[in-house]
Amino acid sequence: MGLVGAAVVLVALSSLLGTVTVPPRIVFQILLHQVSGGAFFPDQCAGTSVAPRLCGAYVAIIWQLYVPEILLALIVGAALGISGGALQGVFRNPLADPFLLGISSGGTIGAAIIYVYRIQEAQADLFLPLFAFVGSVGTGLLILAIARGRFSSVETLLLTGVALANLLSAVLSLILLYNPAGSEQVTFWLLGGLGLATWQVDGIACGAVLILATALTLHGRELNLIQLGHDVAQSAGVDARRVRLRVILLASLTTAIAVAFTGIIGFVGLVSPHIVRRLWGSDYRVVLPGAAAVGAIFLLAARDANYVLFPGSLLPIGIFTAFAGVPFFLYLLYRQRYASTMGVA
Amino acid sequence: MSAPSSAPPLRLTGVTVRYGTRLALHDVNLTVRPGEFIALAGPNGSGKTTLLRVVLGFLTPEEGAVELFGRPVGSLSTLERARSVAWVPQGENPRDDVRLLEYVLYGRFPYHGPLDAETPADRAIAWRVLGEVGLADRAEDGILSLSGGERQRAILARALAQTTPLLLLDEPTSHLDIGHQLDLLSRVRSLAVDSQVTVVAALHDLNLAARFADRIVVLSRGRRVADGPPSSVISEELLARVWGVVADLRRDPRTGAPYLLPHHLVPPGPSVPGELLGKGPVHVVGGGGSGAPYLRALSEAGYRVTAGALHLLDSDLETAESLGALSAVEVPFAPIGDEVRARLRGLLEAATAIVVAPFPVGPSNLPNLEEVARRLGRTPILLIRRPAGIEWDFADGRARALEENLRQGGAREVAGAAEMLAALAAAPVATAPQ
Repeated sequence: MGLVGAAVVLVALSSLLGTVTVPPRIVFQILLHQVSGGAFFPDQCAGTSVAPRLCGAYVAIIWQLYVPEILLALIVGAALGISGGALQGVFRNPLADPFLLGISSGGTIGAAIIYVYRIQEAQADLFLPLFAFVGSVGTGLLILAIARGRFSSVETLLLTGVALANLLSAVLSLILLYNPAGSEQVTFWLLGGLGLATWQVDGIACGAVLILATALTLHGRELNLIQLGHDVAQSAGVDARRVRLRVILLASLTTAIAVAFTGIIGFVGLVSPHIVRRLWGSDYRVVLPGAAAVGAIFLLAARDANYVLFPGSLLPIGIFTAFAGVPFFLYLLYRQRYASTMGVA
Repeated sequence: MSAPSSAPPLRLTGVTVRYGTRLALHDVNLTVRPGEFIALAGPNGSGKTTLLRVVLGFLTPEEGAVELFGRPVGSLSTLERARSVAWVPQGENPRDDVRLLEYVLYGRFPYHGPLDAETPADRAIAWRVLGEVGLADRAEDGILSLSGGERQRAILARALAQTTPLLLLDEPTSHLDIGHQLDLLSRVRSLAVDSQVTVVAALHDLNLAARFADRIVVLSRGRRVADGPPSSVISEELLARVWGVVADLRRDPRTGAPYLLPHHLVPPGPSVPGELLGKGPVHVVGGGGSGAPYLRALSEAGYRVTAGALHLLDSDLETAESLGALSAVEVPFAPIGDEVRARLRGLLEAATAIVVAPFPVGPSNLPNLEEVARRLGRTPILLIRRPAGIEWDFADGRARALEENLRQGGAREVAGAAEMLAALAAAPVATAPQ
């Protein structure tokens, strides 16, 4: 309950920040008006000296731009957080992150095709996410299929991902070399951004992430046992091989959703599960939903940091997650106790 | 259990497992009766862990069948199997600091769906098993704060929380000091008795196995080479053959359990036949190198051999030990004493045939012939013909008299190794009663 309250407060406060600064009183009046279905503040700019035309623009900015952007940050942050937590659990490796399997490189190819061949201009806005999603999932499935014969070896899986990612990045370079026009957009995409946010996008992403996150959370007990080793888990009744495959698939799909709408946002998935473990312990029934919550707040904070530090301009959000995430990550890496107890498998 | 209670907890029939070209298990048959505490013994690489992994369904045997409570292990779901057999590994490397009570509750996994929370009954079981392993006072502590001995007991508690009728332990004491070894196995032993849990424990320490198990199954190079109660399985010969260690067999005056005092490794020899259940044993009396050709010939023909009494540093003793043979041994140059004589008598009584090599006899080793003579009419005796013209009796004619006595009493004279083997093959008693 407290978490929901905190989220509401965060959304409200975050609405104060954006490319255009809207007077706080008007922001809260617009939010209350919209949330209450028009019951409160029939005139959303009541009590201020704002002209009706400007007021209409403010409403559009807050309700059509900022709030969808904020919600997308929460949804994608949650997706990356839970996906990172699940992959760290399944690989028993604290350095695992959602892009571990090279999923991002496939998504980038999908997005690059849209940008380079300017498909989006002629078609609906959902083509970019669709291409990125197909690229991500396709890559993920390809890696799993290649590594399947030796699925018992985690190393094979990871190295297959690395190899394929390198190949795809070569393909990307080739595409951009012959079509320099799209390279700036692709660079932006590679650092991630919330620019695609609309209510429609939020709806799709929220539905998908909710289903996938719930499915992942149901594997918490199994992941707890997998931490004790494949064989121990197996002896205690966990079909470790199948659970591993299923969790990798679910986490990859979750990541693909995030990649599709926001590009590649680093460090959220890597850092969030660690924060949860420090705060609430290592029970994966807690770590998974916890990583979703922490990831959501982390990404929203990164968005807000953007507007606080660079008022008026929306920069790639990956820049901010990296600035916050890398120092924290290094702190984790060099802290003695953590290094010895978590190990690097 | 849905299976009929009459079905054995575990039955292996002709189980063969291969890792690449190496045979890890070869045609192993084993039936475990309800409530038994079985120790799986054998040196490293003998197949103990492989056997446990087959039972747990981690490995599918190339040939043969594995049944848990009458049902093929392959037909059980992971959850069903986890409700009938639990596993205690050599150790675990937990990464996260989970509270001990939570950790033990992990063992309740097979009884819950993904949405179920632990019930008070689960917690009661967790507290009970924590009490049984003596860790109830550490329940709220993180598992990373436990000592090595405590951690192994925690693993045992987690396995016990599965409340299975069959418990497998894989070298559960290999990382523990002697006190904690005894502590852990005593607890398992009393649990087996109190809760009627059937236990199969891989233990490479034979003495621990003898002390705690009802029955010892010995594996060597993937084969089951001995099986029975400790008092009948544990022997110096077993240790020499399977472990390649020369040892003395003693009996614990308090528990009555046999135990072994290892001395040294069996020197690597030309051939140590792997078959413990082979022919023999045939005892060779020799000395000064006279027995070596016959010991080798017998060993190569598949007989188990024993030797003595011999003096330390005698080349025949080296040969005997290189073949994994047990020997009665006296210190150099001393007459054969009463203790060694008693040991020789034991070896002669165990032998299915006795071969007397053409050894020089003096006062110090004359008891060899005296003891052989006591076996007249009970054990077939073969005398290797002595080469003519070489003096061998340095005991004032007493040796000649004893040998004549043997000949008169039915000992048969053979010309050499080939004739010896032929004579043994013809004798119906040449195969050990197993």
